[in-house]
Amino acid sequence: MRTVAEINDKIRRGTVTVWTITEAKALIAQMGVAQAAKTVDVITTGTFEPMEGSGAMINLGHTDPPIKIVECHLDGVLAYSGFGAVDLYIGAGQMATPGRESEAEEKGGGHVIADLVADKSVTLSAIGQMTDCYPRASLDTTITRDRINQFYLFNPRNLYQNFIVGVNGGDRPLSTYLGPLQPRLGNAVYANSGALSPLLNDPELNTIGIGTRILLGGGEGYITWEGTQHFPLQRRLPNRTPVGPAATLAVIGDAKRMNASWVRGCYFKGYGPSLMLGIGIPIPILNEEVLMRCSVSDQDLVAPVIDFSIPRRVRPTFGLVSYAQLKSGRLTLEGKTVRTAPLSSLYFAQQVALDLKQRIDDAEFELTAPVQSLPTDTRFMPQDSWGQ
Amino acid sequence: MKKRLTLTFPKRTINMPITYRLAKDFNVAANIFRAHVAPDQVGKLLVELSGDIDQLDAAIEWMRANHIEVSLVNREIAIDQDSCVHCGLCTGVCPTESLQLDPQTHKLTFTRSRCIVCEQCLPSCPVQAISTNL
Repeated sequence: MRTVAEINDKIRRGTVTVWTITEAKALIAQMGVAQAAKTVDVITTGTFEPMEGSGAMINLGHTDPPIKIVECHLDGVLAYSGFGAVDLYIGAGQMATPGRESEAEEKGGGHVIADLVADKSVTLSAIGQMTDCYPRASLDTTITRDRINQFYLFNPRNLYQNFIVGVNGGDRPLSTYLGPLQPRLGNAVYANSGALSPLLNDPELNTIGIGTRILLGGGEGYITWEGTQHFPLQRRLPNRTPVGPAATLAVIGDAKRMNASWVRGCYFKGYGPSLMLGIGIPIPILNEEVLMRCSVSDQDLVAPVIDFSIPRRVRPTFGLVSYAQLKSGRLTLEGKTVRTAPLSSLYFAQQVALDLKQRIDDAEFELTAPVQSLPTDTRFMPQDSWGQ
Repeated sequence: MKKRLTLTFPKRTINMPITYRLAKDFNVAANIFRAHVAPDQVGKLLVELSGDIDQLDAAIEWMRANHIEVSLVNREIAIDQDSCVHCGLCTGVCPTESLQLDPQTHKLTFTRSRCIVCEQCLPSCPVQAISTNL
């Protein structure tokens, strides 16, 4: 029907037709798949949710005399330094080291990354391994995003294709990565935006792969690899969408050019810090099949309800529930009405999709065809102890 | 009419059946939002009183005469719009559904009049956008 090159040509000539995923659902229902596929070139999707599998690569630039960092804290949060002299990696889920100089207790790597993106200053305290090449013993300074050589997000696991719904069937409150779960099925939390979610609108990743240009934290980014825990073999419905956590993506993008609105530190009480991140993915409408997949609705998407009161690798489940049900604010479990709440911001997800649409309309963002598809057959291997 | 009050009881008034007296003597209904009485401490009661305006005033006067501290200034929930990301996590723990997501825009809405200041939303917020004003 059309190629990515043809779409880019239209973007440059200003004749491209772009819909956000929200507009697309309504317009496809109105004009039918065949007509809609002829009309639209690109559908933009977005998501905004906590993505713990995020982190930032920092290259400080060399000091004089030079230093080879063996231990480094940024605002009291440990950054990994086992690469080279002044390369650091700070993970979103890294908690502030107790006793270190961070103003707030409930702080971690996600906040440090968000502060740097917001152009706030961050204290750096490093110890050097003194060598003939790098004689310096320590470095204490303040950094900002413009005073470090390089700063980019390098996220090993973002953008879960579907997720779970957390509940607590036990008798004490639980602090989880889905927020507080109240006892005796007091509430249910879902963490995916359902029909708005990028990877649920291209369930078999036919248009999305390694090299796909995306909107990451309000700046340009790229899909670099499968994400950790990538599980494409998850059981799927006839519409090819998975019934639980499935594909994940590793992404990269220049954090110096990101926007603080879409990169926010967060903290789950009793669990730890994370990073809330906005990611936008364009879906090029190459053929009717691609468009048809974008018409999927919340009624046709499901997630498993998982009981967090039993802290094992495989937790008991209450079965599958549709996103239409989850978004209604209530679901019924064991004859009891349970309130549901999202953790993925549906409002911001739509704003991200809108932002991406605007950029494509303004010819500021062109699409890329993947250089390589993501694997479709990787198994999910558990870590079982051997030989004991 | 309705009035929200914070009542502070010194030790010697703790044995007084306060809501009973309010109902019987002043025809005032007391809806208790929060109550806290601990050994060797003052008691605190957050209530909404409803009744005739004159009788409400008379009831408040009577409570003050009985050494119960009556405060009209109440704790309120405040949401920092710059920090809020409209994730909606707080809506699931809010018992009165004063925190809700707008079904159209999916933005967080807060209906102050329904809030009982239970503060369960505070620890639920991952971006610390919710606070109390006191």
